[in-house]
Amino acid sequence: MTLDEKELLACLARIEEPAVLATIVSAKGSTPRKTGARMLIGREGVIAGTVGGGCGEGEVIQAAQDLFEGAPPTTVRVDLTDDFTTWSPAVCGGIMNVFIERANPECFAEGQ
Amino acid sequence: MSLSAAQVAARVLEALEKGERIYTAVVTDAPDPSLIGRRWWLSGRRSRGTLGSRSLDEAVAAAAPSFFPPRESRGALSRDFEYREGGRMRTARVYLELHGPPARMVIVGAGHIAIPLARMGAMLGMRIEVLDDRPEFAAPERFPDARSVRVIDFHDPFLDTPLGPSDHVILVTRGHSFDYECLVRLLRMSAPPAYIGMIGSRRRVRATHEQLAREGFTTEEMKQVRAPVGLDLGGQTPAEIAVSVVAEIILFHAGGTGVPLVEKERVVARFFGSTNARTDAAEPGTGATGPEAGPAGPAASAQPATEK
Repeated sequence: MTLDEKELLACLARIEEPAVLATIVSAKGSTPRKTGARMLIGREGVIAGTVGGGCGEGEVIQAAQDLFEGAPPTTVRVDLTDDFTTWSPAVCGGIMNVFIERANPECFAEGQ
Repeated sequence: MSLSAAQVAARVLEALEKGERIYTAVVTDAPDPSLIGRRWWLSGRRSRGTLGSRSLDEAVAAAAPSFFPPRESRGALSRDFEYREGGRMRTARVYLELHGPPARMVIVGAGHIAIPLARMGAMLGMRIEVLDDRPEFAAPERFPDARSVRVIDFHDPFLDTPLGPSDHVILVTRGHSFDYECLVRLLRMSAPPAYIGMIGSRRRVRATHEQLAREGFTTEEMKQVRAPVGLDLGGQTPAEIAVSVVAEIILFHAGGTGVPLVEKERVVARFFGSTNARTDAAEPGTGATGPEAGPAGPAASAQPATEK
């Protein structure tokens, strides 16, 4: 386990503000991060970690917002196989499934 | 109440601190949506939490260890599991992780190369131990990243350092007689460390091997030693040498080729034509008809050796 990974686990274990955990649970082809990579997202944006930077991370952060509003945990399929002539950031070439869930449901206010 | 990701993270950190192996699981898809997000951990015989179905817990617990080789200390994957619910078989997708005690790097010889080597090994998440017979070198303040720094006697260098097959031992001692003492011990172990590296010039490595041969070690046994250790990067400074050693350790585990990616992928040559366009055209799907793919000029034949 790398230091980054350990730091992320430590952050996840301690966090007190409501947060969503995003984990790459499977990946195929060329993706910037592999299965097991994690990111913690708060209401205001990324708290720690990364699931791939420009390559698809925005989609995950966007989807995480719904979980603060009470949506159930779900898997976001991030397709990074856009045609590279479009200058889209998603040209890494792979597809990844990112599971998003409330990291610390006990810290979410009632009724959310 | 089901376990949260935060609670499981705390338990994983605790297990790592104690040197225990722990499996964690979370349901990411299931016919019954109430199972999604349920999690569980298993460490030795202890287990806590649930995936929402006892039958599913049992299926995952039985299979989890088989997904990860015993030598690995980290793993992550998703699998579909069958479980019973109300007399029917159903399928759930489960994401599993393994966290084990970190890989260990034992550096023998606490000289100038050991310092960057210890730092870089720690950056890779390895547990660092440094051994030397000179107390002024085997000093903890020289190795802030090391878990332990020990003064040893080269007559029995690993006396207080029990080694196993998942360990990495790097010999960077000040003389080949010390390397030799270490190698004899290492190669006679019933389960030697998977990675044994020894630094040295060709001459020094050869001298050590000659001594091993005289002692009756076979060439098969000698081949277990990576000597000279490291990738051929051409670096000279202690830090550069340490990079070459840790690079080889990464290669050992990750199974790459060790060649520059630009040479492996050859994106320009494959997709944009080049003086080698004709040979590339034989590869399927390389699109050798790029804008510059013209007839190969005389220059092409002058440099055939650079391309495979």
